[in-house]
Formats: sequence, structure tokens, C-alpha cells
Amino acid sequence: MFDELSLHILDVAMNSLAAGARTVQIMVAEHARRDRLTIRIQDDGRGMDGEMLRRVLAGSVTTKRFRKKSIGLGLALLRQTAEMCGGKFEVHSTPGVGTTVTATMKLLHVDLPPLGDLNATILALCAANPEVDVQLDYLSDMERFHFSSKELAEKKASSRPGKFRDGEEKTNYEPGRTQKVESESAAAGCLA
Amino acid sequence: MNLEELKKLKAKAQRQVALREGSKKYRVVVSMGTSGIAAGAREVMKTMLDEIEKRGLEDVEVRVAGEVGLEDVEPVIRVEEAGGEKTTYARLDTEKAKKIVAEHLEKGKKVDNLAIGKEKKPE
Repeated sequence: MFDELSLHILDVAMNSLAAGARTVQIMVAEHARRDRLTIRIQDDGRGMDGEMLRRVLAGSVTTKRFRKKSIGLGLALLRQTAEMCGGKFEVHSTPGVGTTVTATMKLLHVDLPPLGDLNATILALCAANPEVDVQLDYLSDMERFHFSSKELAEKKASSRPGKFRDGEEKTNYEPGRTQKVESESAAAGCLA
Repeated sequence: MNLEELKKLKAKAQRQVALREGSKKYRVVVSMGTSGIAAGAREVMKTMLDEIEKRGLEDVEVRVAGEVGLEDVEPVIRVEEAGGEKTTYARLDTEKAKKIVAEHLEKGKKVDNLAIGKEKKPE
């Protein structure tokens, strides 16, 4: 259905926005050495109860009924892609707390769609709702990158209004957050 | 995906943040539900953002909506004017998106052959 993984990410994250999330954290981890790609979308939206979750995961059966809320098909599509690519798909949701969607895939699987234009996905999400903090953590064997739309807005507010140069932006990691991700992946590494 | 591309994201997102301050003459709402995304709404939106920036149009803001109930004619966008007039454009692609920016958003001329539905005049 979607020919890019970043379109899946956009689709799932749009659900987070629809659920009234204030923060949407997207993590993409490409670990070639372990042949694993992990995509995680975590939000602090209103969450889903067990019954709702079951319906959503059932996929196309429920899309018509829930069309107005634009949920139903997206998660089922991502699950299909993950399972097709030798991976797993998990949703954890708590009403009032938020939802975490995690999909893992084999990075070298022949059917794995390309990650695609992750930038366009993040820009679309930023434009979707400026009030929401859209965060991206991209990790690979060699590189890591952190982005937060809220940090950008704050940085801008503190600089001169209206004018800024491209060169002004600095790479500012949130040490706490990055470490957390690091230790998680390190732990996963031990398990693997 | 490489890191250089991602780094460009910050600069780009920053410009978008700058663009959306204050009230604008035009608001463009892109339908970005599952059906819209599958039909190419993200590329339409990206093209519009690029084109708006390239032409230096400051009186336009771009927003995103979920499914709007027009799944069969996606990608769909709606252009809302400050006066209340709304125009819906359907079956878009990147070329048509560029045209809408050049004609409607820059010159204020609606692109009739891409618009669908009845005009909603302000009451």
C-alpha cells in the first residue's frame, strides 16, 4: 500500500495527533550489523482501551465505521509490512496516558520498502499542528540525529524575530533523552 | 537516509515555523489521512511548501487535516481565504500543486479546472 516506510510513520503519527497528543516521539533505528530496523511512534494522546485496540488492529473490517476518525487501516497496514519483512509489530496503549507503536523489520529483507523521505514526513507533522512537539530520533550503527520541533520554536523565540541564517542552527542533543535511547539499544544489543 | 539530509530538516522546519506566525490571507489544508497519504498527499504538501517558500509568499499558511471524506479523489487540499471563501482542489499531483500556488495563492486567481464542488461564499 505505502511504498515508503516514512509514509507509514506519517500515517501512524497522524493518529497520534488525532488523539490529542502534545508530544509525538518518533524513533527510527537502522542496525545493519544486527539486520534490524526498528520504528517506534510514541505519543501522550488519549490512548485506547483493549476493545478499541482490538478493533483498530483488525484493520479494514472497521475502517468504514471509524472513517471519520481516520483510524483503523493505518496500523493494520504497518503490521502487514512488518510481518511481511520478517519482523514484529506491537501496540501498547493506556487510556489517558498514550500509545506506543513499535514495528521491527529485517533490514536486509528483500521486501523491505525504502525508508523514503523522512524529512517530508516530519515537516508534514510539524505543519499539521504547530502546538505539538514532534520529535525524531534517528539512530544507525554510525550516526545519530535528534530533532524536536518545540526546541526550534523556543530557539527562534529567543533569537532576533524574523531573521535567522541557516548557519545559526546548532546540533543540540538532549543528553538525557539520547542516553535513554542509547541504553535501550545497548540493552537490546546484549539480548540479541 | 543519510545524516546530511536530516540536518537540512532543521533549517527547513525553522523556516516553516517562521512562515506560520500571525494571521494569514490564505490557509491551505492538506488532507493527510491514510487514503490521502497513499495517493501522494505528502508529496503535494512538500511541493506546496517549497513553492510557497520559493515565491516568497508570506501570507499563506499550510496545515494538515485527517480524512475529509473524499477518499476517491485524493490527494485533496482546501484553500481557505481570510474572507471565508473556501475552494477544494482534488486529484492533485505535484505539477497541479505548483499551479495552484502560482495562480491561486500568488495571483488570487482560482484554478477552476482543478476545483471540485460548489463554491462556498461567505455568508
